[in-house]
Amino acid sequence: MMVLKTRVVLAVAFAAAGLSATACATVQPWQRGLLADSCMVFDSNNTAAYMTHWQESREGSMGGFGVQGGGCGCK
Amino acid sequence: MIGRRAFALVLATLLAVPVLGAVPKDAPDITLTALSGKPIRIADLKGQVVLLDFWASWCIPCRRSFPEVDALHRELQPKGLTVIAVNVDEQQKNAYTFLEKYPHTMTIAFDPKGAVAQAFDLQAMPSSMIVDRHGRIRFTHEGYTDKTISQFRSEVLQLLAEGE
Repeated sequence: MMVLKTRVVLAVAFAAAGLSATACATVQPWQRGLLADSCMVFDSNNTAAYMTHWQESREGSMGGFGVQGGGCGCK
Repeated sequence: MIGRRAFALVLATLLAVPVLGAVPKDAPDITLTALSGKPIRIADLKGQVVLLDFWASWCIPCRRSFPEVDALHRELQPKGLTVIAVNVDEQQKNAYTFLEKYPHTMTIAFDPKGAVAQAFDLQAMPSSMIVDRHGRIRFTHEGYTDKTISQFRSEVLQLLAEGE
């Protein structure tokens, strides 16, 4: 009985720790300075276009390579 | 009969609110810190038409809006407009670099913790609010397009004319 109780307590503690460790956070519009940094852009060093071209040639497929834009979220 | 009239009046008012726009809210009573270090209390600006322009060095549209808003300030300051450009950069040195690049005459204020932005319930960058002579937020703009500056001008002129 004692072992079961301990297990339940441990399971609840792990679940709580797991829930509290989620990385979701709301970034307010005025807090997007770091997200807007050029190093946050997917293709900041301009090599992605070359890599995409290379992959398209090798795989014989096109498209599905992410989205445009950085993290500023400005209107 | 009076009851019916009163009911009709209340109903008409309730229906008119979404059509005519939300009832203007009072600007929050907060104090900003100017570039000079001088405190600026929003409540002390009653009697003036105030354009609050929230900007940041990292905000791409702000590179266009900032000089245009400054030009509007130079144009309409003699008529009674006060422009406060509120910077929300967390790193103030980035704001100083921006300010060196873009000469200005309007008042610059800093909000590195975002307290003012939060008080004004900012939803986007850039954002601007136009406050009337009674301290009420009458117009809010989110983002910046080709038409925004002309909208600012007409709205400011409307509010300046109201107080005359």
